[in-house]
Amino acid sequence: MIFVSLLSYGQKYSYDRNIQKFEAESGDIAFDWKSLTTQRLNDLESRSSNEFIPDEVRESIDREIQQLNYFIDNDINPITPTAAKFSVGFVEQGITLFIPLLIVILAADLVSNEFSKKTIKVLLTRSVPRWKVLLSKYIALIMMTTVVVFIIGIISTFVSYLFFQKWGFSEPVATGFSVVKGELNSNSVILISRFQYTLLIYSLLWFVSIVVASITLLISVIVDNSPSAIGILMASLIGGQFLQFFLSDWELVKYFFVTNLDLTRYLTGSYQPIEGMSLNFSILILGTWAILSLIISFQVFNRKDILV
Amino acid sequence: MDISVLEVSNISKWIKKKQIIKDVSFNIKEGEILGFLGPNGAGKSTTLRMIVGLSKPSSGDIKICEYSIEKDYVRAMSNVGCIIEAPDLYDYMSGYRNLEILGSMSKGVTKKDIDEAVELVGMENRINDKVEIYSMGMKQRIGLAQALIHKPRLLILDEPTNGLDPQGIHEFREIVKGLAKEKNISILISSHLISEVQLICDRVSIINNGSIIRNASIDEILLTDEIAWTLDDPKKAQIILKNKFNINSSMDSKKLIASVDSEMLSEINKVLVDSEIKIKYVENKKRTLEDLFLTLTDKHKIG
Repeated sequence: MIFVSLLSYGQKYSYDRNIQKFEAESGDIAFDWKSLTTQRLNDLESRSSNEFIPDEVRESIDREIQQLNYFIDNDINPITPTAAKFSVGFVEQGITLFIPLLIVILAADLVSNEFSKKTIKVLLTRSVPRWKVLLSKYIALIMMTTVVVFIIGIISTFVSYLFFQKWGFSEPVATGFSVVKGELNSNSVILISRFQYTLLIYSLLWFVSIVVASITLLISVIVDNSPSAIGILMASLIGGQFLQFFLSDWELVKYFFVTNLDLTRYLTGSYQPIEGMSLNFSILILGTWAILSLIISFQVFNRKDILV
Repeated sequence: MDISVLEVSNISKWIKKKQIIKDVSFNIKEGEILGFLGPNGAGKSTTLRMIVGLSKPSSGDIKICEYSIEKDYVRAMSNVGCIIEAPDLYDYMSGYRNLEILGSMSKGVTKKDIDEAVELVGMENRINDKVEIYSMGMKQRIGLAQALIHKPRLLILDEPTNGLDPQGIHEFREIVKGLAKEKNISILISSHLISEVQLICDRVSIINNGSIIRNASIDEILLTDEIAWTLDDPKKAQIILKNKFNINSSMDSKKLIASVDSEMLSEINKVLVDSEIKIKYVENKKRTLEDLFLTLTDKHKIG
């Protein structure tokens, strides 16, 4: 229930903004995107045929030409909101705060509730070793996280389709920019379909959610009541955002999990919140946090005196 | 009959640098009901929690059916059923579903076992209702069923009659007694209700401030070595006791009361009769458990 109401509220808010944008774009001017795009295409083509352009740059220009051609051939305005774009946009917006919060609330409920309702006592007085009890909790947590990510995908796609009337899953997307030594490097730019891109974004979201769920497991095991667990995690999620803003030159900040949650932004281009951070770096840091949390959770849970 | 189902040896427990349990040892034999008596905060619950594996002793060992709870946790625990404080169940499920889930956590619990346990606690009619609409008494019954589905040999009940009405207490007591008698299940009951312990238990352990201060059978603990004579001339008898046996005695209305070794009793009686004192009754003065409990525990204040 908490999940559905939170989600629908977030959704509604997002739509309203999106639709306003949409109306502003298409309502005011009879916006002639085709001529603009063709112009840009001609530009790029002339650049591409220039002999003095290095090969790597030509490659990326060719990719963009390919992309624009697709839009013109299929008579699609590149900035039209589509269901696919919305569901990706939703994740991009939500991956640092909204979705982790959702996961935290649900996960803390799943574990700490056993303590606050005292049912943990009947579970732990059975002839089952404690690690098995915790492991089954963790498996349930992963299943729940998977379902949540799935539902977010389904709902954001279908509901936004109702508004935009376009799926847009076959549009090409350019991805793979990275920053090397402070410069934008588009060497590895590849064109993939929107559908593949959406899958990619959602797998990153899934990974992030699992990490957040593992950390939640640790906190819930330690503090053993859901309000405090949720409080602690909310504070670190929000506090982490602040850290990133104000202390971005402090080395330690980049090892904090919250700073690394925004995986999807690495895909779209030049994103480097703190010097030295990359997609691989962030995934590694998050993975380490998750594994450490798990190990400590099991240790703590095994030794814990249940006093409820 | 002489197999120890539960053997607690020298356990201690420190919580935050304070010793809550001090070197506690006791055991329970097959089919025996042991009452664990103590004032609030004496360490009853803590001890029971250590026996059922909810917390770990700082030192010492607990063996259930010869399996150490430390080294052979699963096998030790498969012989224990318990209700710690209140029967905590999943409110949003039916009683039956609760039992199914908990049963699935132990090996070899069949549907028949669950049905038997339900029948035993007399919950057949309401078992499919949700737990949230159960009364306290019904929850307690389901709690007991939950503790019995895997056929344990040791049942641990922590304050089982808290919150039950007199009728409920009576029924609960009958069920528990039946379990010990018919199924030969050993039972450990903690309580601060003395009358309850006196009615159910074969033996009692009295705990205060974390250590066991008395460990004996109910009869043994209630009988004292105090003998009361009802005589026609207590004053004379008192002098005889003092002079011949060097025993101090006191007078209570017409009774003469003294602490006497039971082996010497017949000797004393002979002397009294020889001194032409008419003895009406000689009785062993029975104390109530409550008296004993209060005398044993009031010296030890909390802290």
